Amino acid sequence: MDDAIIEADGLGIRFVKNRRRNLKLREYFVQGGKRRLRVDEFWALRNVSFKIKAGDAVGVIGKNGTGKSTLLKLIAGVLFPDEGSIVTHGRVAPLLELSAGFSNDLTGRENVQVVGALHGMNRAELKEKVPKILEFAEIPGFHDTPVRHFSTGMRVKLGFGVIAHLPHPILLVDEVMAVGDKDFRQKCYKTIEQMLGEGRTLVIVSHNEADLRRFCNRGLYINSGILEVDGPIDEALAAYNGLVRT
Amino acid sequence: MTSSVAAVWRSRGVLGLLVRRDLTVKYQQSVLGYLWSLIEPLSVAATYWFVFGVLFQTRASTDGVPYLLFLASGLFAWIWVSGVLGAATTALTTQARLITTIKVSREVFPIGRVAGTFFEYVAALPVLLLIAIFYHGRFGPYLLVLPLAVLIQLVFLVGVSLLLASLNVMLRDVERVVRLLQRVLFYALPIVYPLDLVMSAPLPRWVEVVYQLNPLVGILELHHAVWTENFPSAALVVTSVVGSLIMFLGGWWVFHRLEPSVLKEL
Repeated sequence: MDDAIIEADGLGIRFVKNRRRNLKLREYFVQGGKRRLRVDEFWALRNVSFKIKAGDAVGVIGKNGTGKSTLLKLIAGVLFPDEGSIVTHGRVAPLLELSAGFSNDLTGRENVQVVGALHGMNRAELKEKVPKILEFAEIPGFHDTPVRHFSTGMRVKLGFGVIAHLPHPILLVDEVMAVGDKDFRQKCYKTIEQMLGEGRTLVIVSHNEADLRRFCNRGLYINSGILEVDGPIDEALAAYNGLVRT
Repeated sequence: MTSSVAAVWRSRGVLGLLVRRDLTVKYQQSVLGYLWSLIEPLSVAATYWFVFGVLFQTRASTDGVPYLLFLASGLFAWIWVSGVLGAATTALTTQARLITTIKVSREVFPIGRVAGTFFEYVAALPVLLLIAIFYHGRFGPYLLVLPLAVLIQLVFLVGVSLLLASLNVMLRDVERVVRLLQRVLFYALPIVYPLDLVMSAPLPRWVEVVYQLNPLVGILELHHAVWTENFPSAALVVTSVVGSLIMFLGGWWVFHRLEPSVLKEL
Protein backbone atom coordinates (compact mmCIF):
# COMPACT_ATOMS: atom_id res chain seq x y z
CA MET A 1 0.00 0.00 0.00
CA ASP A 2 1.66 3.14 -1.14
CA ASP A 3 -0.69 6.03 -1.53
CA ALA A 4 1.58 8.64 -0.01
CA ILE A 5 1.30 11.92 -1.84
CA ILE A 6 4.26 13.59 -0.15
CA GLU A 7 7.25 11.54 0.91
CA ALA A 8 10.18 13.01 2.77
CA ASP A 9 13.17 10.85 3.46
CA GLY A 10 16.03 12.03 5.66
CA LEU A 11 15.39 15.59 4.64
CA GLY A 12 18.02 18.12 5.65
CA ILE A 13 18.83 21.64 4.60
CA ARG A 14 21.67 23.84 5.68
CA PHE A 15 21.80 27.61 5.85
CA VAL A 16 24.62 30.01 6.48
CA LYS A 17 24.14 32.63 9.15
CA ASN A 18 27.09 34.80 8.39
CA ARG A 19 26.55 38.01 6.47
CA ARG A 20 29.55 37.43 4.27
CA ARG A 21 28.14 34.10 3.15
CA ASN A 22 28.23 35.04 -0.49
CA LEU A 23 31.95 35.29 -0.73
CA LYS A 24 32.67 31.59 -0.63
CA LEU A 25 31.86 31.26 -4.27
CA ARG A 26 34.46 28.62 -4.93
CA GLU A 27 32.64 26.16 -2.71
CA TYR A 28 29.61 26.17 -4.91
CA PHE A 29 31.64 24.79 -7.75
CA VAL A 30 33.96 22.43 -5.99
CA GLN A 31 32.07 19.20 -5.74
CA GLY A 32 32.78 16.19 -3.59
CA GLY A 33 35.43 16.13 -0.91
CA LYS A 34 34.54 16.08 2.71
CA ARG A 35 32.84 19.36 3.36
CA ARG A 36 32.77 19.87 7.03
CA LEU A 37 30.18 22.07 8.59
CA ARG A 38 31.53 25.53 8.91
CA VAL A 39 30.97 27.29 12.20
CA ASP A 40 28.66 29.80 10.65
CA GLU A 41 26.35 27.17 9.20
CA PHE A 42 23.39 25.52 10.79
CA TRP A 43 20.89 22.89 9.83
CA ALA A 44 17.44 24.37 9.50
CA LEU A 45 16.08 20.87 9.17
CA ARG A 46 17.76 17.53 9.59
CA ASN A 47 16.76 13.88 9.34
CA VAL A 48 13.15 14.70 8.71
CA SER A 49 11.22 11.76 7.31
CA PHE A 50 7.49 11.43 6.93
CA LYS A 51 4.81 10.33 4.55
CA ILE A 52 1.65 12.24 3.97
CA LYS A 53 -1.30 10.41 2.49
CA ALA A 54 -3.66 11.92 -0.01
CA GLY A 55 -6.49 13.66 1.78
CA ASP A 56 -4.53 14.27 4.94
CA ALA A 57 -4.63 17.65 6.62
CA VAL A 58 -1.33 18.14 8.36
CA GLY A 59 -0.56 20.92 10.81
CA VAL A 60 3.08 21.86 11.23
CA ILE A 61 3.81 23.37 14.60
CA GLY A 62 6.83 24.59 16.46
CA LYS A 63 8.43 27.70 17.78
CA ASN A 64 9.51 30.55 15.52
CA GLY A 65 12.62 29.83 13.53
CA THR A 66 12.51 26.07 13.84
CA GLY A 67 12.14 25.30 10.16
CA LYS A 68 8.39 25.16 9.61
CA SER A 69 8.34 27.53 6.67
CA THR A 70 11.48 25.94 5.30
CA LEU A 71 9.68 22.62 5.30
CA LEU A 72 6.80 24.06 3.32
CA LYS A 73 9.23 25.56 0.84
CA LEU A 74 10.90 22.20 0.40
CA ILE A 75 7.52 20.58 -0.25
CA ALA A 76 6.67 23.37 -2.67
CA GLY A 77 9.91 22.69 -4.53
CA VAL A 78 11.19 26.24 -4.19
CA LEU A 79 14.12 25.08 -2.06
CA PHE A 80 16.34 22.09 -2.70
CA PRO A 81 17.39 19.85 0.19
CA ASP A 82 21.08 19.38 0.91
CA GLU A 83 20.40 15.91 2.22
CA GLY A 84 17.73 13.33 1.67
CA SER A 85 14.87 13.72 -0.73
CA ILE A 86 11.34 14.89 -0.98
CA VAL A 87 8.92 13.57 -3.54
CA THR A 88 5.46 14.85 -4.28
CA HIS A 89 3.02 12.85 -6.37
CA GLY A 90 0.77 15.49 -7.76
CA ARG A 91 0.97 19.14 -8.50
CA VAL A 92 1.49 21.59 -5.69
CA ALA A 93 -0.47 24.83 -5.54
CA PRO A 94 1.56 27.99 -4.90
CA LEU A 95 2.76 28.34 -1.38
CA LEU A 96 0.44 30.78 0.33
CA GLU A 97 2.41 33.04 2.61
CA LEU A 98 2.19 36.65 3.60
CA SER A 99 3.64 38.13 0.42
CA ALA A 100 1.52 35.65 -1.58
CA GLY A 101 4.07 35.67 -4.39
CA PHE A 102 2.70 38.81 -5.98
CA SER A 103 4.91 41.34 -7.67
CA ASN A 104 4.47 44.83 -6.35
CA ASP A 105 4.42 46.63 -9.67
CA LEU A 106 1.53 44.70 -11.12
CA THR A 107 -2.10 45.23 -10.33
CA GLY A 108 -4.18 42.68 -8.48
CA ARG A 109 -5.74 41.49 -11.70
CA GLU A 110 -2.41 41.14 -13.51
CA ASN A 111 -0.89 39.26 -10.63
CA VAL A 112 -3.76 36.81 -10.58
CA GLN A 113 -3.28 36.29 -14.30
CA VAL A 114 0.45 35.70 -13.93
CA VAL A 115 0.13 33.28 -11.04
CA GLY A 116 -2.79 31.53 -12.68
CA ALA A 117 -0.93 31.14 -15.95
CA LEU A 118 2.18 29.96 -14.14
CA HIS A 119 -0.02 27.18 -12.84
CA GLY A 120 -1.14 26.03 -16.18
CA MET A 121 -4.41 27.87 -16.63
CA ASN A 122 -4.97 28.49 -20.30
CA ARG A 123 -6.46 31.62 -21.76
CA ALA A 124 -10.06 30.45 -21.59
CA GLU A 125 -9.71 29.35 -17.99
CA LEU A 126 -8.06 32.61 -17.05
CA LYS A 127 -10.85 34.56 -18.63
CA GLU A 128 -13.39 32.59 -16.68
CA LYS A 129 -11.59 32.30 -13.35
CA VAL A 130 -9.89 35.66 -12.89
CA PRO A 131 -13.15 37.56 -12.21
CA LYS A 132 -14.21 34.83 -9.80
CA ILE A 133 -10.93 35.02 -7.93
CA LEU A 134 -11.16 38.80 -7.69
CA GLU A 135 -14.70 38.53 -6.43
CA PHE A 136 -13.73 35.86 -3.92
CA ALA A 137 -10.98 38.09 -2.53
CA GLU A 138 -13.50 40.79 -1.59
CA ILE A 139 -11.30 43.72 -2.46
CA PRO A 140 -13.71 45.85 -4.49
CA GLY A 141 -12.15 48.89 -6.10
CA PHE A 142 -8.61 47.53 -5.86
CA HIS A 143 -8.59 45.12 -8.77
CA ASP A 144 -6.54 47.46 -10.92
CA THR A 145 -4.39 48.93 -8.18
CA PRO A 146 -0.73 47.88 -7.98
CA VAL A 147 -0.28 45.29 -5.26
CA ARG A 148 2.29 47.61 -3.69
CA HIS A 149 -0.61 49.57 -2.22
CA PHE A 150 -2.37 46.51 -0.83
CA SER A 151 -2.47 45.77 2.85
CA THR A 152 -1.13 42.43 4.03
CA GLY A 153 -4.66 41.22 4.60
CA MET A 154 -5.70 42.15 1.07
CA ARG A 155 -2.76 40.32 -0.42
CA VAL A 156 -3.54 37.21 1.50
CA LYS A 157 -7.19 37.37 0.51
CA LEU A 158 -6.20 37.56 -3.12
CA GLY A 159 -3.64 34.79 -2.71
CA PHE A 160 -6.20 32.62 -1.04
CA GLY A 161 -8.61 33.34 -3.86
CA VAL A 162 -6.08 32.06 -6.38
CA ILE A 163 -5.45 28.88 -4.45
CA ALA A 164 -9.13 28.25 -3.92
CA HIS A 165 -9.63 28.24 -7.68
CA LEU A 166 -6.73 26.00 -8.63
CA PRO A 167 -7.35 22.29 -9.05
CA HIS A 168 -4.00 21.22 -7.57
CA PRO A 169 -4.18 18.32 -5.13
CA ILE A 170 -1.61 19.66 -2.68
CA LEU A 171 -2.12 22.92 -0.82
CA LEU A 172 0.43 24.63 1.37
CA VAL A 173 -0.59 27.41 3.70
CA ASP A 174 1.92 29.32 5.78
CA GLU A 175 0.56 31.34 8.67
CA VAL A 176 -1.90 33.47 6.81
CA MET A 177 -5.18 32.92 8.57
CA ALA A 178 -4.23 35.34 11.30
CA VAL A 179 -4.26 38.40 9.07
CA GLY A 180 -7.66 38.04 7.42
CA ASP A 181 -10.63 39.77 9.03
CA LYS A 182 -13.33 37.78 10.75
CA ASP A 183 -15.69 37.48 7.81
CA PHE A 184 -12.94 36.43 5.48
CA ARG A 185 -11.65 33.89 7.93
CA GLN A 186 -15.05 32.27 8.03
CA LYS A 187 -14.96 32.11 4.28
CA CYS A 188 -11.48 30.57 4.36
CA TYR A 189 -12.63 27.95 6.82
CA LYS A 190 -15.52 27.01 4.62
CA THR A 191 -13.31 26.88 1.55
CA ILE A 192 -10.65 24.79 3.24
CA GLU A 193 -13.25 22.38 4.55
CA GLN A 194 -14.73 22.13 1.12
CA MET A 195 -11.31 21.45 -0.41
CA LEU A 196 -10.56 18.82 2.17
CA GLY A 197 -13.93 17.32 1.37
CA GLU A 198 -12.76 16.98 -2.22
CA GLY A 199 -9.92 14.83 -0.96
CA ARG A 200 -7.17 17.36 -1.36
CA THR A 201 -4.10 17.36 0.81
CA LEU A 202 -3.36 20.30 3.05
CA VAL A 203 -0.19 21.18 4.88
CA ILE A 204 -0.61 24.17 7.13
CA VAL A 205 1.70 26.14 9.37
CA SER A 206 -0.10 27.98 12.12
CA HIS A 207 0.15 29.09 15.67
CA ASN A 208 -3.58 29.07 16.12
CA GLU A 209 -4.48 25.87 17.91
CA ALA A 210 -8.17 26.23 17.29
CA ASP A 211 -7.54 26.41 13.54
CA LEU A 212 -5.26 23.42 13.65
CA ARG A 213 -7.68 21.30 15.68
CA ARG A 214 -10.44 22.26 13.35
CA PHE A 215 -8.85 21.04 10.13
CA CYS A 216 -5.95 18.77 10.84
CA ASN A 217 -6.02 15.08 11.48
CA ARG A 218 -2.30 14.96 11.86
CA GLY A 219 0.41 17.10 13.36
CA LEU A 220 4.14 17.47 12.84
CA TYR A 221 5.94 19.07 15.74
CA ILE A 222 9.29 20.44 14.76
CA ASN A 223 11.82 21.57 17.30
CA SER A 224 15.20 23.01 16.28
CA GLY A 225 15.00 21.43 12.86
CA ILE A 226 14.18 17.97 14.15
CA LEU A 227 10.86 16.27 13.70
CA GLU A 228 9.91 15.39 17.26
CA VAL A 229 6.33 14.28 16.98
CA ASP A 230 4.53 12.85 13.99
CA GLY A 231 1.08 11.78 15.04
CA PRO A 232 -2.45 12.94 15.68
CA ILE A 233 -2.74 16.69 15.89
CA ASP A 234 -3.65 16.62 19.58
CA GLU A 235 -0.51 14.71 20.40
CA ALA A 236 1.65 17.14 18.45
CA LEU A 237 -0.01 20.11 20.06
CA ALA A 238 0.39 18.57 23.46
CA ALA A 239 4.08 18.07 22.84
CA TYR A 240 4.36 21.65 21.69
CA ASN A 241 2.65 22.86 24.83
CA GLY A 242 4.99 20.77 26.89
CA LEU A 243 2.15 18.80 28.40
CA VAL A 244 3.38 15.39 27.47
CA ARG A 245 6.71 14.32 28.82
CA THR A 246 7.83 10.99 27.54
CA MET B 1 20.67 18.94 -19.14
CA THR B 2 18.22 17.60 -21.71
CA SER B 3 15.54 17.19 -19.06
CA SER B 4 15.92 20.78 -17.92
CA VAL B 5 15.84 21.99 -21.51
CA ALA B 6 12.61 20.06 -21.89
CA ALA B 7 11.27 21.64 -18.71
CA VAL B 8 12.04 25.10 -20.04
CA TRP B 9 10.38 24.22 -23.32
CA ARG B 10 7.25 23.14 -21.45
CA SER B 11 7.29 26.49 -19.65
CA ARG B 12 7.36 28.46 -22.89
CA GLY B 13 3.82 29.67 -22.23
CA VAL B 14 5.01 31.06 -18.93
CA LEU B 15 7.96 32.61 -20.71
CA GLY B 16 5.71 34.41 -23.17
CA LEU B 17 3.57 35.61 -20.33
CA LEU B 18 6.48 36.98 -18.32
CA VAL B 19 7.89 38.79 -21.33
CA ARG B 20 4.51 40.27 -22.16
CA ARG B 21 4.11 41.34 -18.56
CA ASP B 22 7.55 42.98 -18.44
CA LEU B 23 6.88 44.86 -21.65
CA THR B 24 3.43 45.93 -20.49
CA VAL B 25 4.81 47.33 -17.27
CA LYS B 26 7.59 49.07 -19.14
CA TYR B 27 5.34 50.68 -21.70
CA GLN B 28 2.45 51.45 -19.38
CA GLN B 29 4.55 53.52 -17.05
CA SER B 30 5.87 55.84 -19.74
CA VAL B 31 3.96 58.36 -21.79
CA LEU B 32 5.71 57.65 -25.07
CA GLY B 33 5.53 53.88 -24.67
CA TYR B 34 6.65 52.04 -27.79
CA LEU B 35 8.25 55.17 -29.22
CA TRP B 36 11.05 54.81 -26.69
CA SER B 37 12.19 51.68 -28.48
CA LEU B 38 12.83 53.94 -31.48
CA ILE B 39 13.95 57.16 -29.81
CA GLU B 40 16.69 55.50 -27.79
CA PRO B 41 18.61 53.76 -30.59
CA LEU B 42 18.01 56.67 -32.93
CA SER B 43 19.43 59.30 -30.61
CA VAL B 44 22.41 57.15 -29.70
CA ALA B 45 23.06 56.46 -33.38
CA ALA B 46 22.82 60.17 -34.17
CA THR B 47 25.33 61.01 -31.44
CA TYR B 48 27.92 58.50 -32.59
CA TRP B 49 27.34 59.39 -36.18
CA PHE B 50 28.11 63.01 -35.36
CA VAL B 51 31.26 62.21 -33.39
CA PHE B 52 32.75 59.41 -35.45
CA GLY B 53 31.17 59.95 -38.84
CA VAL B 54 31.21 63.71 -39.15
CA LEU B 55 34.02 64.81 -36.87
CA PHE B 56 36.44 61.88 -37.21
CA GLN B 57 35.42 61.03 -40.77
CA THR B 58 35.37 57.28 -40.10
CA ARG B 59 34.78 55.25 -43.24
CA ALA B 60 32.90 51.98 -43.00
CA SER B 61 35.01 50.27 -45.61
CA THR B 62 36.07 50.71 -49.15
CA ASP B 63 32.87 49.32 -50.63
CA GLY B 64 30.95 52.51 -50.18
CA VAL B 65 28.40 51.63 -47.52
CA PRO B 66 27.39 54.88 -45.82
CA TYR B 67 28.81 55.18 -42.33
CA LEU B 68 25.42 55.79 -40.73
CA LEU B 69 24.09 52.48 -42.03
CA PHE B 70 27.24 50.66 -40.95
CA LEU B 71 27.01 52.25 -37.52
CA ALA B 72 23.30 51.61 -37.02
CA SER B 73 23.50 47.92 -38.01
CA GLY B 74 26.14 47.30 -35.35
CA LEU B 75 24.76 49.69 -32.81
CA PHE B 76 21.25 48.24 -32.76
CA ALA B 77 22.67 44.76 -32.20
CA TRP B 78 24.86 46.17 -29.47
CA ILE B 79 21.91 47.82 -27.75
CA TRP B 80 20.37 44.38 -27.51
CA VAL B 81 23.56 42.97 -25.96
CA SER B 82 23.85 45.87 -23.59
CA GLY B 83 20.18 45.56 -22.64
CA VAL B 84 20.64 41.90 -21.78
CA LEU B 85 23.73 42.64 -19.71
CA GLY B 86 21.77 45.20 -17.74
CA ALA B 87 18.55 43.25 -17.38
CA ALA B 88 20.00 39.80 -16.74
CA THR B 89 21.70 40.66 -13.48
CA THR B 90 18.40 41.52 -11.82
CA ALA B 91 16.37 38.78 -13.52
CA LEU B 92 16.21 36.62 -10.39
CA THR B 93 16.56 39.20 -7.64
CA THR B 94 13.55 41.25 -8.73
CA GLN B 95 11.37 38.16 -9.11
CA ALA B 96 12.27 36.77 -5.71
CA ARG B 97 8.68 36.70 -4.51
CA LEU B 98 7.45 34.70 -7.44
CA ILE B 99 10.41 32.36 -7.37
CA THR B 100 10.12 31.61 -3.68
CA THR B 101 6.45 30.67 -3.80
CA ILE B 102 5.91 28.98 -7.13
CA LYS B 103 7.68 26.05 -8.62
CA VAL B 104 8.59 26.94 -12.18
CA SER B 105 11.68 26.35 -14.24
CA ARG B 106 13.82 29.11 -12.87
CA GLU B 107 15.59 29.46 -16.22
CA VAL B 108 12.58 31.23 -17.66
CA PHE B 109 13.38 34.42 -15.77
CA PRO B 110 16.81 35.13 -17.30
CA ILE B 111 15.70 33.77 -20.67
CA GLY B 112 12.68 36.03 -20.46
CA ARG B 113 14.94 39.04 -20.12
CA VAL B 114 16.75 38.05 -23.31
CA ALA B 115 13.42 37.68 -25.09
CA GLY B 116 12.16 41.02 -23.79
CA THR B 117 15.21 42.92 -25.04
CA PHE B 118 15.03 40.97 -28.30
CA PHE B 119 11.57 42.37 -28.94
CA GLU B 120 12.90 45.86 -28.46
CA TYR B 121 15.62 45.08 -30.97
CA VAL B 122 12.98 43.89 -33.42
CA ALA B 123 10.91 46.99 -32.70
CA ALA B 124 13.84 49.17 -33.76
CA LEU B 125 14.55 47.21 -36.96
CA PRO B 126 12.18 49.31 -39.12
CA VAL B 127 14.45 52.28 -38.40
CA LEU B 128 17.41 50.32 -39.74
CA LEU B 129 15.43 49.42 -42.84
CA LEU B 130 14.49 53.05 -43.37
CA ILE B 131 18.12 54.11 -43.15
CA ALA B 132 19.02 51.36 -45.60
CA ILE B 133 16.33 52.44 -48.05
CA PHE B 134 17.29 56.06 -47.75
CA TYR B 135 21.07 55.72 -48.09
CA HIS B 136 21.57 52.42 -49.77
CA GLY B 137 18.56 51.67 -51.84
CA ARG B 138 19.13 47.97 -52.49
CA PHE B 139 18.51 44.73 -50.67
CA GLY B 140 20.47 41.72 -51.75
CA PRO B 141 20.58 38.10 -50.70
CA TYR B 142 22.84 39.22 -47.85
CA LEU B 143 19.70 40.16 -45.97
CA LEU B 144 19.59 36.45 -45.10
CA VAL B 145 22.72 36.89 -43.01
CA LEU B 146 20.66 38.84 -40.49
CA PRO B 147 18.69 35.84 -39.13
CA LEU B 148 21.97 33.93 -38.83
CA ALA B 149 23.55 36.76 -36.85
CA VAL B 150 20.47 37.04 -34.64
CA LEU B 151 20.43 33.29 -33.97
CA ILE B 152 24.08 33.12 -32.91
CA GLN B 153 23.58 36.21 -30.80
CA LEU B 154 20.51 34.70 -29.15
CA VAL B 155 22.40 31.57 -28.11
CA PHE B 156 25.24 33.67 -26.76
CA LEU B 157 22.96 36.00 -24.85
CA VAL B 158 20.93 33.23 -23.22
CA GLY B 159 24.20 31.84 -21.86
CA VAL B 160 25.28 35.25 -20.63
CA SER B 161 21.92 35.88 -19.04
CA LEU B 162 21.82 32.57 -17.15
CA LEU B 163 25.34 33.14 -15.93
CA LEU B 164 24.84 36.71 -14.75
CA ALA B 165 21.42 36.20 -13.20
CA SER B 166 22.55 33.35 -10.96
CA LEU B 167 25.95 34.82 -10.12
CA ASN B 168 24.45 38.14 -9.15
CA VAL B 169 22.33 36.56 -6.44
CA MET B 170 25.44 35.21 -4.77
CA LEU B 171 27.73 38.12 -5.48
CA ARG B 172 26.18 41.51 -5.88
CA ASP B 173 29.49 42.77 -7.26
CA VAL B 174 28.47 41.27 -10.57
CA GLU B 175 26.16 44.20 -11.16
CA ARG B 176 29.04 46.65 -11.00
CA VAL B 177 31.34 44.52 -13.07
CA VAL B 178 28.66 44.37 -15.71
CA ARG B 179 28.23 48.12 -15.78
CA LEU B 180 31.95 48.46 -16.35
CA LEU B 181 31.86 45.74 -18.98
CA GLN B 182 29.09 47.52 -20.87
CA ARG B 183 31.29 50.54 -21.38
CA VAL B 184 34.52 48.72 -22.14
CA LEU B 185 32.94 46.21 -24.50
CA PHE B 186 31.37 48.94 -26.57
CA TYR B 187 34.79 50.12 -27.69
CA ALA B 188 36.25 46.62 -27.76
CA LEU B 189 33.86 45.68 -30.53
CA PRO B 190 33.68 46.77 -34.15
CA ILE B 191 30.63 48.98 -33.72
CA VAL B 192 31.72 52.54 -34.37
CA TYR B 193 34.80 51.47 -36.35
CA PRO B 194 35.28 48.71 -38.91
CA LEU B 195 37.22 45.59 -38.03
CA ASP B 196 39.75 46.35 -40.79
CA LEU B 197 40.94 49.29 -38.73
CA VAL B 198 41.94 46.95 -35.90
CA MET B 199 43.62 44.54 -38.28
CA SER B 200 45.64 47.27 -39.95
CA ALA B 201 46.61 48.97 -36.71
CA PRO B 202 50.18 48.47 -35.47
CA LEU B 203 49.18 45.92 -32.83
CA PRO B 204 50.99 42.79 -31.71
CA ARG B 205 49.60 39.63 -33.27
CA TRP B 206 48.30 38.27 -29.97
CA VAL B 207 46.16 41.36 -29.37
CA GLU B 208 44.45 40.79 -32.70
CA VAL B 209 43.83 37.15 -31.81
CA VAL B 210 42.45 37.95 -28.37
CA TYR B 211 40.29 40.67 -29.86
CA GLN B 212 38.74 38.26 -32.33
CA LEU B 213 38.22 35.51 -29.77
CA ASN B 214 35.29 37.51 -28.40
CA PRO B 215 32.26 35.82 -29.97
CA LEU B 216 30.54 39.18 -30.22
CA VAL B 217 33.12 40.38 -32.77
CA GLY B 218 32.01 37.74 -35.27
CA ILE B 219 28.36 38.38 -34.47
CA LEU B 220 28.72 42.10 -35.11
CA GLU B 221 30.66 41.46 -38.31
CA LEU B 222 27.72 39.38 -39.49
CA HIS B 223 25.36 42.23 -38.66
CA HIS B 224 27.55 44.57 -40.72
CA ALA B 225 27.81 42.04 -43.53
CA VAL B 226 24.08 42.33 -44.16
CA TRP B 227 24.77 45.77 -45.65
CA THR B 228 28.44 45.74 -46.59
CA GLU B 229 27.87 42.41 -48.36
CA ASN B 230 31.32 41.48 -47.21
CA PHE B 231 30.99 38.15 -45.41
CA PRO B 232 33.45 37.79 -42.51
CA SER B 233 36.13 35.12 -42.68
CA ALA B 234 35.08 31.56 -41.92
CA ALA B 235 37.47 31.46 -38.96
CA LEU B 236 35.75 34.44 -37.39
CA VAL B 237 32.27 32.98 -37.86
CA VAL B 238 33.33 29.60 -36.49
CA THR B 239 34.92 31.32 -33.50
CA SER B 240 31.73 33.14 -32.69
CA VAL B 241 29.54 30.04 -33.16
CA VAL B 242 31.78 27.92 -30.95
CA GLY B 243 32.20 30.74 -28.45
CA SER B 244 28.46 31.25 -28.23
CA LEU B 245 27.83 27.56 -27.68
CA ILE B 246 30.46 27.47 -24.93
CA MET B 247 28.85 30.52 -23.35
CA PHE B 248 25.44 28.87 -23.55
CA LEU B 249 26.55 25.57 -22.02
CA GLY B 250 28.70 27.32 -19.43
CA GLY B 251 25.88 29.63 -18.41
CA TRP B 252 23.50 26.72 -18.16
CA TRP B 253 25.95 24.72 -16.09
CA VAL B 254 26.67 27.56 -13.66
CA PHE B 255 22.97 28.28 -13.32
CA HIS B 256 22.25 24.70 -12.30
CA ARG B 257 25.24 24.48 -10.05
CA LEU B 258 24.14 27.59 -8.18
CA GLU B 259 20.40 26.98 -8.24
CA PRO B 260 20.05 25.40 -4.75
CA SER B 261 22.11 28.16 -3.15
CA VAL B 262 20.36 30.85 -5.13
CA LEU B 263 17.00 29.66 -3.86
CA LYS B 264 18.21 29.76 -0.27
CA GLU B 265 19.50 33.24 -0.80
CA LEU B 266 16.40 34.80 -2.33
